[in-house]
Amino acid sequence: MKSRVFLIGGFNKTKFLANSLLKKGYRVTAINSDADKCRSLAEIEKLEVFHGDGSKPFVLEDADAYNADIAIALTDRDDDNMVICELCKKKFRVKRTVTLISDPKKIEFFHMIGIDAVVSSVSTIASVIEQQAFMDELTTLIPIGEGRIRVSQVPVTENAPAAGKKLKEINLPVIVGCIQRGTMSLIPRGDTRIHAGDILVLISSDEHETAAVTELTGR
Amino acid sequence: MSKQDEYTVIAGCGRLGANLANKLSEEGESVTIIDRNKDSFRKLSPSYSGISLTGDATDLGVLRDADIERASAVISVTNYDNTNIMIAQLAKRLFGIGRVIARLYDPEREFVYRELGIDTISPAVLSIQEIDKLLNKKAGDAE
Repeated sequence: MKSRVFLIGGFNKTKFLANSLLKKGYRVTAINSDADKCRSLAEIEKLEVFHGDGSKPFVLEDADAYNADIAIALTDRDDDNMVICELCKKKFRVKRTVTLISDPKKIEFFHMIGIDAVVSSVSTIASVIEQQAFMDELTTLIPIGEGRIRVSQVPVTENAPAAGKKLKEINLPVIVGCIQRGTMSLIPRGDTRIHAGDILVLISSDEHETAAVTELTGR
Repeated sequence: MSKQDEYTVIAGCGRLGANLANKLSEEGESVTIIDRNKDSFRKLSPSYSGISLTGDATDLGVLRDADIERASAVISVTNYDNTNIMIAQLAKRLFGIGRVIARLYDPEREFVYRELGIDTISPAVLSIQEIDKLLNKKAGDAE
């Protein structure tokens, strides 16, 4: 049976996540302390909605949090999110707790008290903006492990040093996971030749990303 | 440890926080009280000799400004339960303070956090105990 996911607090993010998770076949329950938002959330088909403060033990109990596999705290208060995750983890034995955090300085502390995943919207958005603003040739798709590992895509232009070379001829400290060529995508080997116009999907550590981009694009 | 060596950090300058700060200060302890709102410090008595610090007590910078590492006790009595829990957890887990007390209005949440090793007091539970005591005393008198 598919996992059961709890979305606690939040509204737009909850709506978006709920739709996406339901589509993937998860059982999704939303808890919100605002009655109007609950009504609006209830319009989503198959979404189970509970009205109440998700940082209160009895509300979580009413929503049957004992049978939740994943709890995601999405309120805009760090203290509420922390209490929601702690209750879910320690009282209701939820396997995985995920929270949004607004103060990036507390990320480590949240990990310390046992929250499994901490997503900082401030640092995530800031790093995306930084990349968009300063490195046109590089887009990071997915930061993993607090951004230490990144999946990024690099377009190879005509005058890039990597264009026309075989992968093994370039000294890359990263893994090229995939090459997008037009509508095709191919899994490269050492003797795969890079063409101008290719888009390379890289898997790299954050300190090697820039070196790889320079190697590929010459910038 | 003599009273002079004790250092208490109080988060939240409401009626409870302010009166507690006044009392500890009167007894000769060093006290720092933190509140987001400067006006709250009016509740402190004129003889209060501790420090009052304006700021958000869930902010790590503010807690460091309050010299929390040096504290022998941290007491979290803001008007919001989850804030008190977070400050208590920060004090205990991040700064390693031995004595941490949080006031929680919701008795059910209090029960959970007592199990998690934070000393909590709940005004509702305390009031119930006191009222019960008074009622029993009355009943005893009537006999």
